[in-house]
Amino acid sequence: MGFCDKFQVITMPHCRENAIELALDKGDVPVVALAGNPNSGKTTIFNGLTGLRQKVANYPGVTVEKKTGTCKLPDGRRCHIVDLPGTYSLISHSPDEYVAMEVLRGLRLDTPAPQAVIAVVDASNLQRNLYLVSQLIELRMPMVVALNMMDVAERRGLQVDAQALSAALGVPVVPLVGHKRRGIDALKAAILQARIPPMPDWILPQAMHDELLLVGGGLAILESETEHEAAPATEGLAVDKYRRLGSSVDDARRMVHYQALAERLLIGDSAADMTPLASREPVKALLESAVSRLAVMGIEAMQADIEAHYHWIEHVVAQVTAGIDAPQAVGSSARQAWRPQRNLTERVDGVLIHKIWGLLIFALIMGVVFVSIFWAAQPMMDGVGAGIDYLGLHATGHLPAGPLKDLLKDGVFAGVGTVVKFVPQIALLFLFLSILEDSGYLARAAFLMDRLLAKVGLHGKSFIPLLSSFACAIPGIMATRTIEHRKDRLATIMVAPFMSCAARLPVYGLLITTFFAAWGTGVRAAVMYAAIMLSLYVMGIAAAAITAWFFKRSLLRGAPAAFILELPTYKVPQASQVARQVWNNTWAFLTRAGTIIFCMSVILWAVAYYPRLPSLEQARISQTARARYHSALEGQTGADTKAQPATSEAEAVSMSLGSAAGGYSYAGRLGHAMEPVIRPLGFDWKMGVGLVSAFAARELFVSTMGIIYAVGDPEERSTTDLSRAMRGDRDQRGQPVWTPLVAVSLLIWFVLALQCMSTVAIVRRETGGWRWPVFMILYMNGLAYVVCLGVYQVGLLLGA
Amino acid sequence: MKTVGSLTHQNGSIQACSLDELGIGCQGQVVEVNGDHRVRRRLLEMGFCNGASITVIRRAPLGDPIEFELRGYHLSLRSDQARYVRVVQISKPPNDID
Repeated sequence: MGFCDKFQVITMPHCRENAIELALDKGDVPVVALAGNPNSGKTTIFNGLTGLRQKVANYPGVTVEKKTGTCKLPDGRRCHIVDLPGTYSLISHSPDEYVAMEVLRGLRLDTPAPQAVIAVVDASNLQRNLYLVSQLIELRMPMVVALNMMDVAERRGLQVDAQALSAALGVPVVPLVGHKRRGIDALKAAILQARIPPMPDWILPQAMHDELLLVGGGLAILESETEHEAAPATEGLAVDKYRRLGSSVDDARRMVHYQALAERLLIGDSAADMTPLASREPVKALLESAVSRLAVMGIEAMQADIEAHYHWIEHVVAQVTAGIDAPQAVGSSARQAWRPQRNLTERVDGVLIHKIWGLLIFALIMGVVFVSIFWAAQPMMDGVGAGIDYLGLHATGHLPAGPLKDLLKDGVFAGVGTVVKFVPQIALLFLFLSILEDSGYLARAAFLMDRLLAKVGLHGKSFIPLLSSFACAIPGIMATRTIEHRKDRLATIMVAPFMSCAARLPVYGLLITTFFAAWGTGVRAAVMYAAIMLSLYVMGIAAAAITAWFFKRSLLRGAPAAFILELPTYKVPQASQVARQVWNNTWAFLTRAGTIIFCMSVILWAVAYYPRLPSLEQARISQTARARYHSALEGQTGADTKAQPATSEAEAVSMSLGSAAGGYSYAGRLGHAMEPVIRPLGFDWKMGVGLVSAFAARELFVSTMGIIYAVGDPEERSTTDLSRAMRGDRDQRGQPVWTPLVAVSLLIWFVLALQCMSTVAIVRRETGGWRWPVFMILYMNGLAYVVCLGVYQVGLLLGA
Repeated sequence: MKTVGSLTHQNGSIQACSLDELGIGCQGQVVEVNGDHRVRRRLLEMGFCNGASITVIRRAPLGDPIEFELRGYHLSLRSDQARYVRVVQISKPPNDID
């Protein structure tokens, strides 16, 4: 028989039985933690408890989302609710689980230790959900069980008796149907009734009880003895002495505390509060000898512990459930007939993960997502961009010409436009992601794609982040949080930017129409356009696959992760929840990526604007341009008309001025300085300037080209004018600056290179340091350099 | 007799196989879980213990991973992880055609 049940051990001094009441009476706002498995409907309950009074942030130092909110209790008083990340266990396998454990144990400095915990349990999935509950019980905290998804259980023919569960656990149990808000009020009332559950009678092998006594005794001795005495005492003491010491410790409560500690150490729990103690030499030796003694008897502490928990779970569940689907006593030799598929989820899965239909439907759904984001992308970007430009024009129209006007129009408004242009597309992407995830389909997508992705060293769960990266790598990289295994997650992050994002579209568009649409307009040109676009996307995917495979073999090599993917029951996503998620995520994008893009845009504007051409120089250039224009006109017959792109004297002048001003600015000087390095790739200094500005946001390349080529009326610059200017640009030797080969080289550069400050910032945030983002910059741009070099030089050799 | 978990072998007459060898629709009872510490812990915590009954639901269209049902819920494992779980087959689907 266990001895633990004799004592109500309070290992957490701040967690008194009626902690909530105490706090409320004092006028404080108590903190209640919300814990539960993933897919248990915890978030819906959190929303039900807190309404709109919630806040989403990040736990400092990690990329785990922190959700807190305020709940109004029935008597009008308030309490804070902390929605912990969904976890299967408190012994962590992922950063999410680690943070949940830390918050519950009061180990995080940024979060006050909760005074009670609401354990959300999925009634249709009782056994596995109770495992977490069994661990929460060991925490000795006041607890309430929220028995959610009662409707799902009912549909499956399962009857779960909440009263019986309450009696079995010794805590209030509130049945709920979270997404219908049924039971939320009862839950609020139950918070005040939270009780510390009695410690169940875990059935551990007697040998383990002995070892716990022993190790616990050892820990007690070590902690009480002074440092220099500890070592000799431990080495010399025989096993018997320890045991005697263990059972003779007067303060029985202290002893149980040490035994609880001993158990956690034996089963390999490595929480932060354990490490200083566990790393002391005598403790290590103590544990090792205990483990080997148990091993001789065929007992492994971790397994025995988990089995004991599940024995208890099976016992409890047998008491509280009834119905056709009720789990029968496991371990019985009764043969269970193969049950025909009964519930809706299984039937739907019969189609959605079917060999043929499943894949087809998957391709269809992904196609719809992809196409709608893309079809909508360019027009949406253009539309929003035009709107911002219009606003900018009107706001600055009355200002006198000069730096302030230019700063506001081309710096501030253009910068804002660059960010805001993305928002509709990003929001649409988040909408799709949210619906797919909440409905439960996302897990099926990972299930279908895992084989393919595993071949290149990625994970089934990498699919959605990579798909998202086709819109923008930033939400894609944020979505990798669902991948538990660090190395798989890193590999996904490292290759996500290869998925050609929406920002590259204007660049691809400009280059393709300028140099490859020479096959006239109409169907042929459109097909050509599409074919080239597609090959660029394929190139990105190929680069990702090859790099991921390579990384998994070298840098990120490691034992393959436990790919354990739960396939939750299908649900109809709740509209308010979806809306909330889309709002939160889009806002996060705007504030995180948006501020960086905006600042970089303004800085780059300044760098391309200053210093201004001195007026003497301006006059000289204008004169030369005028002269050249007229002489070209006179010698028109026989002259290469393409070499004179300007359609009027004024345009010729402005083009020359624009080019000169561009070259004179800091950006231009940087471009000139870069030229020797990028010449072998076929780029000249103007492209260099474009590449520099593309580092803030890729589509800035197009606007920068527009400024440098300064074609037409600045207020009405169009792409056709720019194309014309680019095609007609000649270098000092009179050779065209832009050839189709140069365009190919530049396109490849944009496919492969990492050029987005915001992506770098997000990678830094998600990987917790500069090591990986810097590595990404180096390897991706290095790869781009080498490939473009190869393509251009080989192309030259082949006479392109 | 050797005690493994809570299931007792009797003179080794029961044939155990690994979970990825079970056919579609077959049911097996968990005997033991191998693998490195982390994988074992995760599998045990998810319920692969105490002789639990596992039913093989289907394989993904591309062959991997495999969907199982145990303790009332569905999860999927890759074949190379399913290999870590040793089971004793206790039933076949009603019609033997897969």
